[in-house]
This record gives sequence, structure tokens and C-alpha cells, in this order.
Amino acid sequence: MERRNFLKIMAAGAAVVAVNPSLIRGTLYADDGRLYVTYEKAQIVDASGTPIKASSLEKEMTYIFNYPYASTPCMLINLPESTQQEVELKSETGESYVWKNGVGKDRTVVAYVAICAHQMTHPTPNDSFIQYVPKSKPTMAYSKSGIIVCSSHLSAYDAAAGAKVLGGAATQPLAAVVLNVAEDDTIWAVGILGPDKFQDYFKSFKPELKEFYGGIAQAKQLVSISAKTVKLSEFSKEVIQY
Amino acid sequence: MKKILMMLGLSSVLVLSLNAAEKDHRTMLMKDMRSMLEAMEIIQRGGLYSSTEEMKLGVKKLQGTLKVLESEEIKFILPKDQVYAYKFAQKTASMLRLYSDDMITSIEAGHMDEALEDYNQLLKQCTSCHIRIRNW
Repeated sequence: MERRNFLKIMAAGAAVVAVNPSLIRGTLYADDGRLYVTYEKAQIVDASGTPIKASSLEKEMTYIFNYPYASTPCMLINLPESTQQEVELKSETGESYVWKNGVGKDRTVVAYVAICAHQMTHPTPNDSFIQYVPKSKPTMAYSKSGIIVCSSHLSAYDAAAGAKVLGGAATQPLAAVVLNVAEDDTIWAVGILGPDKFQDYFKSFKPELKEFYGGIAQAKQLVSISAKTVKLSEFSKEVIQY
Repeated sequence: MKKILMMLGLSSVLVLSLNAAEKDHRTMLMKDMRSMLEAMEIIQRGGLYSSTEEMKLGVKKLQGTLKVLESEEIKFILPKDQVYAYKFAQKTASMLRLYSDDMITSIEAGHMDEALEDYNQLLKQCTSCHIRIRNW
């Protein structure tokens, strides 16, 4: 190939990638790829270290695991019905991305970062103001249940649609944990999709992270190999839901 | 007749004393909120004038107001339509204590940037609670 042709092809390729960077990633939909970050793959296991199977998750129960950092709590939920698919979402800065769907046999298993997009309310070992509210339980945050509610300022998120905001003060969805379910039905966390607030979280809750994790460095350690998962009622002494 | 009059008298006394108690609680809340505002002003002034002593003084004043907010008594002083949210107010109070304790630690370690960050977080807790409880 002549040098001139080679340069033309390279320039055209670079222009295409510059216009739509998600092309080089195939399955990613964020404008510039920044809304999807892959982290070390971690297997979801129970408190004793046994891998959890997607089909064994209790329906409508909020489970908590920390991912991708040792101190960043995420919710794992097995919804009563299949989720929506290919949901288009937008961050508060206007970046678009697509949340694909739930995983598992019936596409009912979802996971989201449990740090509220409004003022970063999150579960701690002391208490939790954020959780999935089962269909049978009423909430003040929205006209129907079966959604995620942050009871601090009553933000409501659609658990079956990529944690899209349904109501309240939040201006963007919760970040989603990208899950894979293996052939043996075990669950793996592989990345974070959507606008995470991890750096703000580390900055804002420094004293709390020192108290619960022994220091910021420990709190910022990346989760590796597996992520222990417990029910929210076991993770937090008190669960508050309005 | 005598019995009816006595019952009416007793009921009036009860209603009046309940009102007085409610008023007392409201007065207490207002007093605490004013003290908290003053405490925040002292901390801010200390931060802006590089006076760590003044910042510590502000923290002490602020922490003096937290006991009621952290206790079950908070139920009596919140606006009636917000009493259900007393757990949120308690949580806010515990965060105020956490950040103000950390401010002292930061000041004593000479980490003034962290102490001022604690001030930001204190202010954020105040506004967060006002957004919720006062329906901003």
C-alpha cells in the first residue's frame, strides 16, 4: 500500500472514531465511552464465600455487595418480572447511554450502585435510607412500588429500566453494575455503566469511610476475585423506608 | 352538673398544658437552630481568619445542640407533618457530629484543607435536612 493511501485510511478511521468513539467498543453506547468502565471481574458470593446462583436469589429482596471498590455499596435485586430492554438513559450532564437489560434466565436480576444520585445517600453498617421497595409495600416517593427509593429526599428509580429517575430530587439514574451470568448460573460483576459518583463519595464521606473501613486507602481498594453479598437487613442495623 | 364542670375544667387544663409543652418544644428547636447557625458562623469566621481556636469554639457550640436532635425528643420538636421523618433528622445530627469531630482531628493534625472540607460537609448536612424537613 502506498504511503499516501495508508495515511488516508488511518485519517478516515480516526475521524470515524472521533465522531463516534463507541464504535471501537462494539457493545458500548456512551457518547465517549466514559460512562462505561470495566473493573476486575468479581464473582458474587455469599457471606461464607459460596458462589450465589441467579435463580437462588429471593424475589424482591435487596442484597448488598461492595463493588468495584471495597467501600462502594451496590444493590442486587431479583425483580418479580423481566426488565425492559435497551433503555436509553441520560446523565445530568447530557451524556446518553443504553442500559441493556436484566440478566438471568428471565432477565430479572439487576444490580445498581447504591449511592443516591441526588446527595449520595447510601447504606452503611449503621443504617440505610436507600433500598428496593417490593410491590406489596407502599412508598411516599412514588405512586407505585416495585421501585428503588431513597428515603432521604424521596427520590424514586425504576429498577426494571436501568434505574431511570421516576420522581424526587435526583437528576440522573443510579449507576448500573454490569452483570454476567455464567452457564452454571453464577453471577459476575464486570463493570459500571452510567454516571458513578465514586470520587465525590470518597471525598464527602472521608470520616465515615475511616470509621468503617479503617482509612481512605482501604476504602478505595478495588474488589478482586469475589464480592461478598448479604441481605440489606444484615448489612445495615436499621433500614429506614418512607 | 358539678361533675360536668369538673370534667370541662380538667380537659381545659390538659389541653392548655399540652399546648404549652408543644410550644416549649418548638421554642427549644428554634433556640437550637439559632445556636447552630451561630456555631456555623463562628466556624466559618475562624476558617476565613485562620483562627483554629475560633473554629474549635464553633464546633463545641454546634455539638452542644446535637443531643436533642440525636435523641427521640426530636419527634416532639419537628413540624407535625414531618415527624415521621425523625430518623432522617437523627441521621443528619449524627453526620454533623461525625464531620465536626473530624474537623477537630484535621485542625489538630494541621490539615486545614480537610478541616474546611469538613465545614463544607457540615453546611451540606444543614441544607440537606432543611430541604427535606422544611420542604424547600
